[in-house]
Formats: sequence, structure tokens, C-alpha cells
Amino acid sequence: MGRQLSFVVALWKTNLLSAMEYRVSFLTQVIGMMLNNAIYFVFWIIFFARFEEINGWDLVDMLFLFGVVATGFGAGTYLFGNSVRLSSLIANGQMDYYLSLPRPVLLHALASRSNASSAGDFTYGLFSFGAAIYFSGSFGGLMLLRFTLGCLASIVVLISFLVLVQSLTFWIGNTSLLTRHAFNAIVTFSLYPITLFDGTAKLFLFTLVPAAFIGALPAEFVRRFDLLQLAQICAGGAVFLVLAVFVFYRGLRRYESGSAIQVRM
Amino acid sequence: MPAISVRDLRKTFQMKRKSAGLRGSLRALWRPTYQSIEAVRGLSFEMEDGELLGFIGPNGAGKSTTIKILTGILHPSSGEAAVLGHVPWQDRQALAFQIGSVFGQRPQLWYHLPAVDTFYLFGKIYEIDDSSLKRRISFLAEAFEIEELLETPVRKLSLGQRMRCEVAASLLHRPRVLLLDEPSIGLDVVAKQRLRMTIQRMNDMEGVGVLLTSHDAGDIETLCRRVIIVNHGEIVYRDKVSALKRRYLTVKTVDVRYNEQLAPDFSLPGVEMVKVGRYGAKMRFDTRVTPVEPVISGLAAAGSLADVTVSEPSLEEVISAIYARTEV
Ligand SMILES: Nc1ncnc2c1ncn2[C@@H]1O[C@H](COP(=O)(O)OP(=O)(O)OP(=O)(O)O)[C@@H](O)[C@H]1O
Ligand SMILES: [Mg+2]
Repeated sequence: MGRQLSFVVALWKTNLLSAMEYRVSFLTQVIGMMLNNAIYFVFWIIFFARFEEINGWDLVDMLFLFGVVATGFGAGTYLFGNSVRLSSLIANGQMDYYLSLPRPVLLHALASRSNASSAGDFTYGLFSFGAAIYFSGSFGGLMLLRFTLGCLASIVVLISFLVLVQSLTFWIGNTSLLTRHAFNAIVTFSLYPITLFDGTAKLFLFTLVPAAFIGALPAEFVRRFDLLQLAQICAGGAVFLVLAVFVFYRGLRRYESGSAIQVRM
Repeated sequence: MPAISVRDLRKTFQMKRKSAGLRGSLRALWRPTYQSIEAVRGLSFEMEDGELLGFIGPNGAGKSTTIKILTGILHPSSGEAAVLGHVPWQDRQALAFQIGSVFGQRPQLWYHLPAVDTFYLFGKIYEIDDSSLKRRISFLAEAFEIEELLETPVRKLSLGQRMRCEVAASLLHRPRVLLLDEPSIGLDVVAKQRLRMTIQRMNDMEGVGVLLTSHDAGDIETLCRRVIIVNHGEIVYRDKVSALKRRYLTVKTVDVRYNEQLAPDFSLPGVEMVKVGRYGAKMRFDTRVTPVEPVISGLAAAGSLADVTVSEPSLEEVISAIYARTEV
């Protein structure tokens, strides 16, 4: 554990060095993404100005939700930047590099890239969380702890989901289109008030597209402590993580290095 | 125990076949048809500890596939292999601590960073402590003459400079075996020679064994004592490089010039005249059929000699003759 941690920290440092080679572009992307998110949120401000709440969700819930999702998403895709391009790494034979070095392939691949725009998401999420605290008037050390925990769980489920979807590449070849759809779906659904959905749709959000584990569940947990929710969050994270690692390594055995090659006849 | 031993290794790729057009694409989606490509077909060979072994063959012969299996990147379809006592696809991580690999077509240095940053990252990956890493880097920097290049972002290096840094990076953790897949690809003559020299020196100094593929006969000729030639996934030739030359370099070409005019019907028994001019001639003979002595004395008897050049085909010509012979 400790061994892999110091290795991953070294990778993150190298990513940062690499980003600093292009400081200006890095900062532009960070600020661009923050603006992008803010503009998107304006929609919800207008929406709730008119409707006050939907099925018990109000603007403050929304702020908490965006706080957790953006922070988790930003941190996750910053620290494990290759989680959004695993499919093309597999299809183009770029896993060769990770396979020839003495470290766990999945961890090594995921942590070998940091997206600048993700740093923008992360910062935006913190702002959103700050605003949520301000408007709800509740704050404390415990809430900070719950927020950290909630974000961690959100990261684990998000990254696991992305790994799961893209591991299909080992079986069916390049899945970049599917990946993009899955990615959009998980982000979109995790940013909706969960109270909008009923039974079947909810089941869907806890399993196939586990957006509930990334957004609503941890966000509610951040607002108020609930033992059952804590258990759900931890269990969800563990299940998806184990599943993702299992499926990825299963697929890796089928890895064909340059499997993108296709003949047209 | 040999450093590498391979027994009846096979690798078959399944490739999806697809006919042209939308209809073809739809059909491929619905019911994909596969085409098997036997990239490696029953290879068996051994490499001794500290040996420099050439592994050559035409495009698509299965060299890279073999090397990828030996590094643990690919699982073989069947057969056995052991590298330093490890089965590569089972003990990938343990093996990676003891071998180094360079793929000429797949750089491992971080493109936007100076090479030294990747060296430090590799230090962490290979768990080398800081002070030994520093010593190792300065040793390799001197051996590969890359002291001045280490601080420059890799994207600004020439191909030759970059390749020297690549090979140096693969030696950071003092591997026992180095697998080099076309390290000289795209390099000019001088850069190639420089790279060869450093590989040779590391072999002398640290006894690192090298399995080398290349399309340049010169790499094999200067570096390797033994060579394995593969074609269509099978070994078609294996022997010492010197034996290869002795065996195939029996055809001599002779260029001769005289101080006086030659007889127009100039000829020698057992020698094929390629071109006969007024003051000179070009001819060819096989030493297995026609001994050297009578040819040389025949040349001397024909007039007053100004110049004689006897040459043999290059290793490259020999290798291409072997490739051609094993084409089906
Ligand atoms: N990932 C892959 N999927 C399908 N076929 C492959 C794959 N990799 C290699 N092949 C096929 O296997 C055969 C051997 O390829 P390989 O790359 O091992 O050859 P090579 O000897 O390294 O050739 P070169 O000198 O061109 O590098 C070729 O026919 C190639 O098309
Ligand atoms: Mg090759």
C-alpha cells in the first residue's frame, strides 16, 4: 500500500511538472471550465427562482449536489486523468508502456495523466460547497469530514464506472462512442435532483448508471449524518471498485497490444 | 541457466474482418467474421546470460510480437517461455524489475518534460533510493554522452539524442536483460554508430544481455555474435554471425584494371565476366566452385596489373537472399 502510494504521488508530481511546461494553457483551461460550470448553474438559479422546489429539493440542495459532484469529478479526473481515455489507450496499444513497467497496470495508467480542465471542476466544486454552507447556514468540522468522505465515495464510483465501461474495449474493440455516451449520462444524471425520479428510474441510477452514488447520495449525506446512507455509500464504492478491477484485469488478458488494426476488404 | 528460453511459442491474433461500405459494417457488427493471423508459429530458442543476440526478419515476421510476449505485454496462444526464471505473462511485475525494454516506435520518455524528470519518475517506479539514483544517472549520462541533453524537454531533442536517452532510461535499474525492438529506426549513420557503441560498452561493463531486432544489418554485424532469422513466425536460420558470413559470402566480385589494353576475348575458366572494357573488367566467381589461386594468377598473366579489388556481398545482401529463399 505505502509502496504504491509513494509511486502514485511521484506520478502526480510528474503530471504537475508536465502541466507547468504550459502554464498559460493550464490556467486558461481551469478558468474556462469554472466559467462553463457557473453558466450551467445559472439555469438552476433561474429554475428555482420560479419553482422554489421540486419534490423537496431546493437551490441549497442543488449547491450541495454540485459541490460534491464537481469536487469529486474534478479531483477524480484530475488525479486519474486517463480514466476518460482508457478506451483509446487500450485500442491503440498504448497499454504496452504500463505493462512493461513493474507497477499495477490499472493504477499506473489511470494516474499517468492530469486534465487541466478537471482542476477547474474541482475549484468550482469547492466554491459551490462554500455557497451551500453560506446559504444553508449550517457548518462544522463534522460537515467537512462528511464532505471529504462523500467526495471520496463519489470519486471511487465515478472512476470505477468509467473503467468498467471502457474495459469493454478488450472484448468489442474501440468503444469511444459508447464511452462518450456513458460519460455524458453519468454526469447529467448525477447533476439532477434525485427526487425527480421514481422507482424503476431510481434502480437504474443505483446500478447501470450509478449516478446516485456519485451525486445525490453523498450530497444528502453531507447535509446530515445518516448511518444507513453512510453504509450505502461505502458499500456502493466497494462493490463498483471491486467489479471494475476484476473486469479490467479479466480483459487485460485479452489485450492484443495493437488491437485497433482492422482490415477493410 | 539461460537468460531467455523459449519453447514452441505461438501467438495467433484474431482480426475482425469487415467488407466495405455500410452494409459490411452492419454485417460485421451483427456477425463478425474473424481472420486468424499466426504471428508466431512455434519459436524455440535460447539466449545466454550476457549474450548479444540478433533477432531479425522481414516486416511482419513476428519479431515485435515475440518481444512483447517476453516482456509480459502479450499472452501467447501456447508454448513456454522463461526470462531470468520468470514466466513473463505470469510474473510480469517481478520480471519488469530485472529487464529493460526499448521499443523504437513507442517512446517511454515523457514528451513534454526533460528526460531527467522521467529518470526520476523511473527511480520511484523501480524503487531506487535517491542517492544511488543520482549516481546511476550521472554514470549513464556520461556513458551515453547525454549530460547536456538531460535538462532539455524531450520534444526538442533530435531522434538520435532521444534514442540515447531512451536506452539510458531502460538501464536505470541495472537490468540483467535488455530487449531492444528496432532502437535504430530512423537514425542516421552516425547516430546509429554511436548507439551501437554505447550498447556494446554497457554489455562490456555490466554484462547486460541484449536481444536486438533491427532492419539494419550493420547493427547486427557490429553488435551481435549470434543471430536468429525469423520469417512468417518461424526460425529460418540461426548461427554465429561469422558463420553466416562464411557460409554465404562465398561469391566474390573482382574489379581489375590494367596498364595496357586487354585482349578483346579476355576470359578465365570458372569465372563469370560481368563486364569487359578496354583497360579493365568486372567479374564474379564462387569460391566453392573456382578456387581463388588460379583466378588471381590468371589475372596476373593477362597483362601488367594497375589495380585489383576483390569484394564480397554485404551482410545485408546475404540476409535478403535468405529472406527471398524462405518466401513461400
Ligand atoms: N495487435 C495485433 N493484432 C492483429 N495482428 C497483429 C497484431 N500485432 C501484430 N499483428 C500481425 O502479426 C504479424 C507479426 O507482426 P510483428 O509486429 O510481430 O512483426 P515484426 O517482425 O515486428 O515486423 P516489423 O519488422 O514490421 O516490425 C503481422 O502479420 C502483423 O500484422
Ligand atoms: Mg516490429
